[in-house]
Amino acid sequence: MSEMKKIKNLKEFSTSADRFEGANLLCPGCAHSIIVREVLNATNDDLVLAASTGCLEVCTAVYPYTSWDASWIHIGFENSSTAVAGAESMYNALKTKGRLKQPDRNPKFVAFGGDGASYDIGFQWISGCMERNHNMMYIVLDNEVYANTGGQRSSSTPIGSSATTSPAGSISYGEKMNKKDMLGIMAAHNIPYAAQVAPNKWKDMVKKIQKGFATQGAVFINAVSPCTTEWKFDPKDTMHITDLATDSLVFPLYEIIEGKEFNITYRPKNVVPVEEYLAAQGRFKHLFRDEYKYLIKEWQERVDANWSYLQRREEAKV
Amino acid sequence: MAKKGWDEFEIGAMLRTFDGKIDNIAGTRQEDRSYSENSSYMASVADWRLIKPVFNKDYCIDCQFCWIYCPDVSIISRDKKLIGVDMDHCKGCGICVEVCPTNPKSLLMFPEQADEETEIASWPKKDEEEA
Repeated sequence: MSEMKKIKNLKEFSTSADRFEGANLLCPGCAHSIIVREVLNATNDDLVLAASTGCLEVCTAVYPYTSWDASWIHIGFENSSTAVAGAESMYNALKTKGRLKQPDRNPKFVAFGGDGASYDIGFQWISGCMERNHNMMYIVLDNEVYANTGGQRSSSTPIGSSATTSPAGSISYGEKMNKKDMLGIMAAHNIPYAAQVAPNKWKDMVKKIQKGFATQGAVFINAVSPCTTEWKFDPKDTMHITDLATDSLVFPLYEIIEGKEFNITYRPKNVVPVEEYLAAQGRFKHLFRDEYKYLIKEWQERVDANWSYLQRREEAKV
Repeated sequence: MAKKGWDEFEIGAMLRTFDGKIDNIAGTRQEDRSYSENSSYMASVADWRLIKPVFNKDYCIDCQFCWIYCPDVSIISRDKKLIGVDMDHCKGCGICVEVCPTNPKSLLMFPEQADEETEIASWPKKDEEEA
């Protein structure tokens, strides 16, 4: 049961029996469910899942329906991480006492949270779970905004993005703060495994998720999840936007092992200018007005600086 | 569940996904499971759709890109072959058409009321410029 599922190619992967059901109420073209499906299909083991309040939770558990064919719990906005950590501690305690009916089933403990629930509200709780090194995985579905409540800015919202609490107009260019480096913060807990993933690179993603499942200890995953409603693009373009995000290096894909060993896992053959990524989304539309054009240049410089920093880090192995 | 009145629920009642016994969920296909009426699999979101994907198996190369990138688990793939689209759960987002690599595409979006057989008969020819 606890053997790692062998997934060599997409055809083999497509024989998986999905444990996430359709007719959930996520928007058409939402990347959340693409990420969830890739995670759930990466293993054949039993799953203990939790979801923080957010799009994923409200859309998959509308009373009296549930979209999950696995043990799933929702408690509060902040504590999906601690709920799963608690379940994991209980499981270990019962196993030690020999009170489990099927002790060899080895369930995997996974918590999902949006960027609002992870970067802002549940930050302290996740930090606690990572510090205590529970044998669990925390996955952020990072859509850079509080999409469920109408698009308020979160600490994941990048500079220049127009959100409902940081709207762009004649005086402001939108969000003023830079995106928080959550992965760096979590890796600084010296957890066994932390990685950034994107749903369009499914093979890279499944590899990282399986590596996370095989790891004994806390795992933190940050997954980019383009939001068709708040990023303002056509639902059919979800994968195109994700491609632009990874190929323009706005979302570089890398992993950090034990807080030290740093690997870049995807190097785009043709790096796309950041301008293309910004132009594809309605939330950055105002940046193409003459008075805000300097921000696009700043964006490009910031992304380039970050990429060269990541490369230096990989080379120096720190 | 639906037959009960508003005050007749058990306190803290659990919503069960399955009615019968399922031994290995990870290996059991969705259509082979015995769902209770509380699973969203038993519901339909077909009325969300304005345009629908039509699948033309003549051009399909079974690459499964549409299967992995479908957000609504609506691409039915069995034994590494693409069989069709689950029209009860498809919301008509059109991602499957965008990611389809064949020329011409083996999935195309048509208005909801379009007739599938007519559209397949008049499928666009290979686009020479792109090839």
